[in-house]
Amino acid sequence: MPSLTKTSNNSTTARERIADLALATVPYLMVIPGLIFVVGVLGYAVFGGFVLSVHATDMFLNKTFVGLQNYISVFNDPRFQASLLRTIVFVVLSITLGIVMSMVFALTLYHVGFARRFFRGMSLVPYFVSGIAAAVMFRFVFTTSGGFVNYVLQQIGLPTAAWLGDPYLAFMVAVLANCWFMVPFATLILLGGLQTVDRDIYDAATIDGASGIQMFFQITIPMIKPMLGVSLIWVSYISFSTFDIIFALTAGGPQRATEVVSMYMYRIAFLQLDFGQGAVLMVVLLSFNTVMSLFYLYYFVLADRRLEKEASP
Amino acid sequence: MNRQMTRTEESTLRPEPGILQDWLGRYRRFFLIGLPLAFLIIWTMVPILWAFLASLKNPLEIYESSTFFPRSPSLAAYQTVLAIDGFGKWIFNSVLVTAVATIVPLILSILAAYGFARYLFAFRHVLLLLYLIPRIIPRVSLIVPLNDLMTDLGLINTYWVLYLTYIASAVPLSTWILVGFFRAVPREIEESATIDGANMWNRLRHVILPIAWPGVVTAAVLCIREGWNEFAFVLALVTETGMRTLPYALYMLKDSMGVQNYAVYNAFTILTVLPLLIVYLLLERRVVESIVSGAVK
Repeated sequence: MPSLTKTSNNSTTARERIADLALATVPYLMVIPGLIFVVGVLGYAVFGGFVLSVHATDMFLNKTFVGLQNYISVFNDPRFQASLLRTIVFVVLSITLGIVMSMVFALTLYHVGFARRFFRGMSLVPYFVSGIAAAVMFRFVFTTSGGFVNYVLQQIGLPTAAWLGDPYLAFMVAVLANCWFMVPFATLILLGGLQTVDRDIYDAATIDGASGIQMFFQITIPMIKPMLGVSLIWVSYISFSTFDIIFALTAGGPQRATEVVSMYMYRIAFLQLDFGQGAVLMVVLLSFNTVMSLFYLYYFVLADRRLEKEASP
Repeated sequence: MNRQMTRTEESTLRPEPGILQDWLGRYRRFFLIGLPLAFLIIWTMVPILWAFLASLKNPLEIYESSTFFPRSPSLAAYQTVLAIDGFGKWIFNSVLVTAVATIVPLILSILAAYGFARYLFAFRHVLLLLYLIPRIIPRVSLIVPLNDLMTDLGLINTYWVLYLTYIASAVPLSTWILVGFFRAVPREIEESATIDGANMWNRLRHVILPIAWPGVVTAAVLCIREGWNEFAFVLALVTETGMRTLPYALYMLKDSMGVQNYAVYNAFTILTVLPLLIVYLLLERRVVESIVSGAVK
């Protein structure tokens, strides 16, 4: 629309110039109101978090500047180191399992020959279940007496287990619950990717004698790389900042086996009321997420786009 | 599907297939699609179904864990939940906060998305980036400084604190979705409307919004989802029982019930999840299509 982007160089009278100026402010008037909320609340919170992280707070929220003291005490705390390690294991397991499951489900939904719309719609249902509700449901699937898993084990005559009482098993249940919650969205993103691949390529490859597995790794994966990147961003974002699910599933237990960084942050800030150290953990969560997202964005989405540009100048 | 069939045919045409290979070839489709599909259905539905079935059982039956279907289904647990003191208030809170956190972000982001999609102006990339960055900020990480900030402002335990934080986190999401949909509307249609004398408001109302309506519906459903399911903010910013939303109330139920009445617990869970699932099922087609087409990121 050229009329909207016209600059004022061909205006003659002052009145026209003012009208042009008014027109030029229109896009800002449209964009700014939303931004006030985003910057005012989220931006201020991030800024405030950084400020808070270099202050010591007492019970009445009086602040005194202490420099990097909070960072030093948090990083030297063995409990923090353990929770960071746990988070990394949790994220790696969740991403691996989550992406494999999403890919299997996406391929299944792509190939299924009947009731496609129904299965697609159904596969997204967990996306709409709140983290708390998902955790409560999973707790009830794995609970010792009355849980679904132990019910099935009992019926087929296998020994039952106290899933949520054992540190290792509880950790795995937390990973599973996290996957249940985040896989559906990643599945549909990957399904969208699969649908963009031209079927003729597969036909040509089949004629050349390529096996299904070869085609998957050498055609499908490279062709859907951007969607793979988007679903990886989603999956690691959810896993890294997981809170609701662990909070309601195990609350960090048993024996701190599931105390990830976000749980530890909540405990430090809201139970021990040390907001300064809590803010340090915000900085930690934020930095990890930013670095990971930028990495995926660069590796999967932008690198791909640049290649496209080079290929078609 | 064609591809699958030709491959199956081919494998049967291969010379001297072993018995196992032959058998695998014949049932290939079943193994490659049937089994994962069965797993997908069980994996997706079991947690919800198990909670639903348990909500119809009596507590002792759940504890014994000897039945799959309830022996004598009863809605007693739902009656108990509905009679909980404050349940009506929690539903009211959830509906109110979700409604505000859907309508306001939609209005703001329709405006912003139109600005980004149709105008060339200075700093537009920077401004768009400011809308994008919040998408990679984990919401839970902000609860510490937000609690500090809102305490200073005296907003703890008010609806305002929930409105502000929910709106702020919904605006980037819906703007990002709508920019894509608005850009996809052909400029020619809008230009012909301009020639017919339509001003910006009319173009937006009568040209852009009707064409990009699936995007608006998708953005609305995702805003509703964010608002209805939000937990970290309400946990950190609200302490009064009467100000809780449903997810928070569900979480607190664990502590408030001395006896582990699993039937009531599950009935409560189902009741918190159900309204949003109904909204989703009504608008399922548009939401799924938007996600599959890559419009939601």
